[in-house]
Amino acid sequence: MKTKRIAQAGIAVMMTAAILTGCGSANTAITVISREDGSGTRGAFTELMGIAVDDVDNTVATAEISNSTSVVMQSVAGNTNAIGYISLGSLNDDVKAVSVDGIAATVENVSNGTYNVARPFNIATKEELSELASDFVTFIMSADGQAIIEEEGYIKASENGAYTPAGLEGTIVVAGSTSVAPVMEVLADAYKALNTGVTIEIQQTGSSAGMTSAIEGACDIGMASREVKESEIAEGLIPTVIAMDGIAVIVNNENEIDNLTSEQIMNIYTGTVTDWSEVK
Amino acid sequence: MQKAKENIMHVVFLVSACISVIAVITICVFLFINGIPAIGEIGVFDFLLGKSWKPLENQFGIFPMIVGSLYVTAGAILTGVPIGLLCAVYMAKFCPKKLYKILKPAIELMAGIPSIVYGFFGLMVIVPFMQDCTGTGKSMLTASVLLGVMILPTIIGVAESAIRAVPESYYEGSLALGATSERSVFFATLPAAKTGIMSGVILGIGRAVGETMAVVMVCGNQSILPERITSGVRTLTANIVLEMGYAADLHRDALIATAVVLFVFILLMNTLFSVLKSRSKN
Repeated sequence: MKTKRIAQAGIAVMMTAAILTGCGSANTAITVISREDGSGTRGAFTELMGIAVDDVDNTVATAEISNSTSVVMQSVAGNTNAIGYISLGSLNDDVKAVSVDGIAATVENVSNGTYNVARPFNIATKEELSELASDFVTFIMSADGQAIIEEEGYIKASENGAYTPAGLEGTIVVAGSTSVAPVMEVLADAYKALNTGVTIEIQQTGSSAGMTSAIEGACDIGMASREVKESEIAEGLIPTVIAMDGIAVIVNNENEIDNLTSEQIMNIYTGTVTDWSEVK
Repeated sequence: MQKAKENIMHVVFLVSACISVIAVITICVFLFINGIPAIGEIGVFDFLLGKSWKPLENQFGIFPMIVGSLYVTAGAILTGVPIGLLCAVYMAKFCPKKLYKILKPAIELMAGIPSIVYGFFGLMVIVPFMQDCTGTGKSMLTASVLLGVMILPTIIGVAESAIRAVPESYYEGSLALGATSERSVFFATLPAAKTGIMSGVILGIGRAVGETMAVVMVCGNQSILPERITSGVRTLTANIVLEMGYAADLHRDALIATAVVLFVFILLMNTLFSVLKSRSKN
């Protein structure tokens, strides 16, 4: 009886060991990570890189799809063969941003126009905007608001002068893109510090949901990390570009590649190039 | 006075009963009103059997997602049911009391862990492991394993109480006929608990089909027909949650139509469950 037990335990240990040692083969096939259809980041990236031509998105069908910036970063950080793209403002040390055509992905290079993988951050409002909400928009577009935008790693979109608090009170509801929300939260905190009687509620619902809420009046200001669509403008929305955001192409920290040409990126994303050895 | 009290409580109970029914009907109506016109516009066959999902180019075929949901669920059954069933047998029949005091709360805790936490665990632990083993981290296999773990508490809970509900006399009778303890459990007690175990499995399948947040993080979400077990897949639920935030116009309606298909799936599952139950009663 006892020997049988020991034998059983031994077999269990051996099986586990076999599974664990069977792993770890060298593999350099590229894992392409993209965002979901309709995402503002994906729309801008595919268009700028020539992956989408004439509104036909040619992203390879085997690309992994993630629906948030953090999952893209986590996936790239955990996979030595992965490539992905995220908003420049969200970039941190967990992953490595590659240079595109020899130009590093930095705020300076985006604002001086050399790094051209960038897209606008929009807010959209209805014509009949409350006094308070329109004062908040004034703040965002003022030199103070734009300074915050630059501090957060985005590129300013307006040259307006300084902001003077109007001393209003009330609640503003802002809803929309998960890419715009982080910088909007910092802007809201700064605005609340200047106007103590104000509450700002920020809902992260995605660009389209934000536009719908703004049209329906469920929020005062909608946020979009893409261009506002014609159909949405027809419903009465007025878009305003509050900032520009670079898109960083990211790879794992252990990946030796530091630079990719935009053609290589296009080939990787359309499935023509499938192995890292082909771009070295 | 007594009569009036009785009547009031009668109404209270009736209203409580109605609320859940009303909720179900409202959801049905919402889904079908929004979803059916979209299916009509896309075309029933193009929608259900179309192999290409490119919403921005007006291609709305959810066949890969239907297949994906079925594969992932089947994988979850393959990994989850044997483990769950054997665990339930152990818990009900062989487990020492001291160990049971630890095991039972542990399994109950498993049921209470939010699915997003399972998803995060999958992304941080199972995905890199599968990456090393099979070359692709986010795959059907990963999702199946994770879902298999997630449906364990449901299967174990229901199957255990089903096994415990079998009269002890079955077991004792079998022993008296000369069978060993193990044989009695597996060939006398277990068959008698068949219906209960089946309900546990079907409840587990229901959870696997409807699971969203965990799956979306580990399955890769490619809208393609999977060729291998290590291919990525997209399930129906993942399709909805991935694109809802950014969808507009027909794209949005197509996602609601996807929910209609999912709803029909769950409906079929529940019908199957009732049929099985009533048949075993006869």
